[in-house]
Amino acid sequence: MSTPSRRVYALEQKSRGRKVAAVFPARYPAELLWAREVCPVEVWDPPAGGQAAQAHLQANVCSVVQRGLSLWLSGGTEVADFLLFSHTCDSLQNLSTLVPHLLGEKRPCLFFYPPKGRRDDLAERYLVDHLAGLSERLDEAAGRAGEGALERAVAWGEARGRALNDLYDARAAGGLAASNEDFYASVRACEYLWPEEAVQRLEAFRRERSGPSPPGVPLVFSGVLPQPAGLLARLDGLGVRIVEDDFLACGRRFVRGALPPAGEVLSTVARRLLALPPCSTAGSPVSDRLDFLARLAGRSSARGVVFLSLKFCEPELFDVPALAEGLRSRGVPCLVLEVEMGGEVPAQTLTRIEAFLETLP
Amino acid sequence: MSAFARLRYRFVRDALLPAALAFKGGRRKSRPPDPLFGPPLKSTADLRRIMARHYALARHAKGAMPVAWVTSGAPVELLRAFGFYTVYPENHSALCGARKLGPEISAEAEARGYSQDLCSYARVDLGHAFSGRTPVGSLPAPDLLFCTNNICQTVLYWFKALSREHGIPLILLDTPYLHGGRDETPAFAYVEGQLRGAVTDLERFARKDFDEKRFLQVLESSRRASQLWGGVLETLRRRPAPMTIFDAFVHLMPIVSLRGLPVCERYYEGLLAELRDRVERGVAAVPGERHRLLWDNIAIWFALGPLARLFAEHGAVPVVATYTHAWAETAHQMDLQDPFGALARTYGGIFLNRDLAHRRAFLETLAREYAVDGAVLHSARSCKPYSIGQYDLKQSLMDVPGIPSVVLEADMTDHRVWSEAQARTRLEAFFEALEGQTIRNSSGPVNA
Repeated sequence: MSTPSRRVYALEQKSRGRKVAAVFPARYPAELLWAREVCPVEVWDPPAGGQAAQAHLQANVCSVVQRGLSLWLSGGTEVADFLLFSHTCDSLQNLSTLVPHLLGEKRPCLFFYPPKGRRDDLAERYLVDHLAGLSERLDEAAGRAGEGALERAVAWGEARGRALNDLYDARAAGGLAASNEDFYASVRACEYLWPEEAVQRLEAFRRERSGPSPPGVPLVFSGVLPQPAGLLARLDGLGVRIVEDDFLACGRRFVRGALPPAGEVLSTVARRLLALPPCSTAGSPVSDRLDFLARLAGRSSARGVVFLSLKFCEPELFDVPALAEGLRSRGVPCLVLEVEMGGEVPAQTLTRIEAFLETLP
Repeated sequence: MSAFARLRYRFVRDALLPAALAFKGGRRKSRPPDPLFGPPLKSTADLRRIMARHYALARHAKGAMPVAWVTSGAPVELLRAFGFYTVYPENHSALCGARKLGPEISAEAEARGYSQDLCSYARVDLGHAFSGRTPVGSLPAPDLLFCTNNICQTVLYWFKALSREHGIPLILLDTPYLHGGRDETPAFAYVEGQLRGAVTDLERFARKDFDEKRFLQVLESSRRASQLWGGVLETLRRRPAPMTIFDAFVHLMPIVSLRGLPVCERYYEGLLAELRDRVERGVAAVPGERHRLLWDNIAIWFALGPLARLFAEHGAVPVVATYTHAWAETAHQMDLQDPFGALARTYGGIFLNRDLAHRRAFLETLAREYAVDGAVLHSARSCKPYSIGQYDLKQSLMDVPGIPSVVLEADMTDHRVWSEAQARTRLEAFFEALEGQTIRNSSGPVNA
C-alpha cells in the first residue's frame, strides 16, 4: 500500500477542512491536536538536506535540527497553520525559540515540555497542568475541541498504540513477512497520517504480511531513527532482519503492553506520555533503558544490538557507552555505528555491519 | 560517617590548612607590573587561598560528612542545611581547562566511548571519574549527586553517567524550560514540589531531620552573597572599569562553589570594598580604556590570559557578561518568607532556562546599563543551549541597538578546537572596526 508524501497528505487534509501542524520531534500529546481536527505532520528527516540552516546554526548541531530548520527556511512548512515544538534536547529547545523569536515566524509556535527524569505523581500533576495550558494555546491556534472530541482522540491514540504493539509483536515472533524497508515505511507513516487511517493501514499491513518473516540475522536496532535513508534496503540485502527497535521515532513512542489506568481525560493523556518506554531524551536512568533493550532482544530472539548513533545527538551519545557495555556484560553482542542523515550508506558502515555479523555466535 | 574522619577533617581545617596556606602565601612571588594592565587586585590572593582551602579540605571530607557533587545551577542551599560537602564538577572542569589539561583528561572518557562531540566539561569530569586524574591532587568520591537541568539537559545525561559509574543516587531537580512568557505557575509549582520532595530524600540519605532554621540562615547567606556579587559586577559600569570581565570569570568561583557559606560572603565584601576604592581613585583595569565590550557565554578558560592581553592591547575592556550575571540576576527573588517558592523561582527562572526573546532583551539591557561599544559572542562548541541562536542574536544586536558584534568559535576547555591565529585575526578586525566607529562618533556632531 503506497503512502503519499507528507506535503501531499497535508494538503489533502486541509482540503478536508482540517488544520495542519508542523511538529518537531519527539514525544508530544497528539490527542490534543486530533481533538481539534488538527493533523500533526512531524518533521524528522526532510530530504532536502540542512544547507539552508548553516547561516543560523553551528556545524555541530545534529541533522534533525539542521534539516528541520532548513525545511522551515525554504518554506517547506508553509502548509502548516502552526508549529509545535517538543522539548527533546537542548538543540530542539533552542530551535523552538530561534524560529519565532529571532527568525520572525508569525504563525503560532507552541511548546511542550515533558517532565525529565520523573514519572511520579508530581510529574503527572505538572503534566496535567501543562497540558491544560497547551490546550488553551491550541484553542487560540486551532479552535476549541468539540464535546467528547478529546475522549475520541484518546481512543484513537489507544487504537494506534494497539496496532503498533500487534505489528511489533508479530515481527518479534517471526510472523511478519515484511522487509525492513516495508516495515518502517508502514510504521513511520504514523508520523503524519490521521490516526484512524494510520490504524487501518497498520492493521491491513499486518494482515497482508502475515506469514513467516524473511530469513536473516535477527537484530535489535537502536538510535534516533533508521537513517541514512538507504540503510534499510542495504540491511535487507545483507540479510539483516530488524526484529525490534527502540528508535526514538518508532519503538520508543508507543506504550509497550498494558496501558496505565485511565482517569480524567488529561490525566489519561499525561499517564500515557509518562508510560512511554525509557528514553535518553526523557532523562530515564540508563539501567531502565538497558533492561528495556535486553527485554526487546530477549523477546525477539535477537542475536545482537546495533546502535545507530546520530552524529551530534547528545542525549543518545551520552547513553550509548553505558548501554553497549551493559549489554555486552549480559552477553548481548553490540555494534555502535556513528551515522548521519543522507541517502547513501557509507561503505565503511556496511563493512562494519558485515564484520559484526561474522562475529555473532 | 566516622568519628575519626570528622576529627581528622577538623584538625586539617582548623590547624593544618591555615598554617600550610599561610606558608604557601608567604612564599608566592608577586609578578612585576604589566604596563598593559592596572595594578593587580589584592583580593586575588584571598581567592587563591579560599579555593585552595576548598579543594584541600575536600580531600578530607570523605567519611567526615556526606559529599555531594552538584551542578552549578542547583539550589545548593538545601544540601548546606544538611551539612554536605559540595564539589562542583563544572568548576573542576573549568580549572582543568585553565591548566590546559582538558583534552588530556577528557581522552580518558573518549577511550570509554564518550564522543568528542559531547560537552567538554562533561568529558573532563567523566575522564576524571574514570581515571582519577586532576590537577588538584584528588577529589572526594561523591556519596550523592544533585543535578538541576536549568542550565542545560547535558548535566542530566552527564550526572546519569556519574550515577552509574559511582553506583550512587542522583537527585534531579527538573526545571521546565520557560518559553513564550506565558503562565509560569505550573512550572514553578512543579519545581517547588520537587524541592520539598528533595528534603524528604535528603533526610533519609543524611539520616537527620531537616533544620529549617539552618536552611533559612543558609538562604540568607546565599542571597547576600549573590547581592554582593551583583554589587561587584555593578562596579564595572563605571568608566574606567576597575576590573575586566576576564577577572570576573576567575572571581566568580566562590559564588559558584561556596554560595551559602560565610566565607563566600566575606570574600565578596572584601572584593567589593576593593573595587569601590578603585572606582573612587579612578584605578583602571586597563589603562586607556577605549572600547567597552559585552561578552556572551562561558569563558574560554585555556585562553583567558592571551585573550586578556589581546583585548588590552587594543584598549578593549570586556565589562559585562551574561555568564557572570547568572549568579546575580535572580538573587532578589530569594524571599525568606516563602523559601521553597523563592528557590523554585530563583533557580527555575535563570536566563539560560528562558527563551531567546528573553536572552535578547537581557543582552540589550546589559549593553545599555554597562554602556558597551561592542559585543563578543563566544560560540562554545560544547554548549548548545548557550550557543545555538548566537548567530542571529549577533545580527539582532547589530540591527536594532546597533551594537557591533563578533562571534568567536571556541570551547570552554577543549583547546583542540581552538585556533589562536584565527581568533586573533577575527578579533583584530573587530577591534579595527570599533576603532573606526569610535573615531566617527567622536568627530560627529554632539547632540544636546
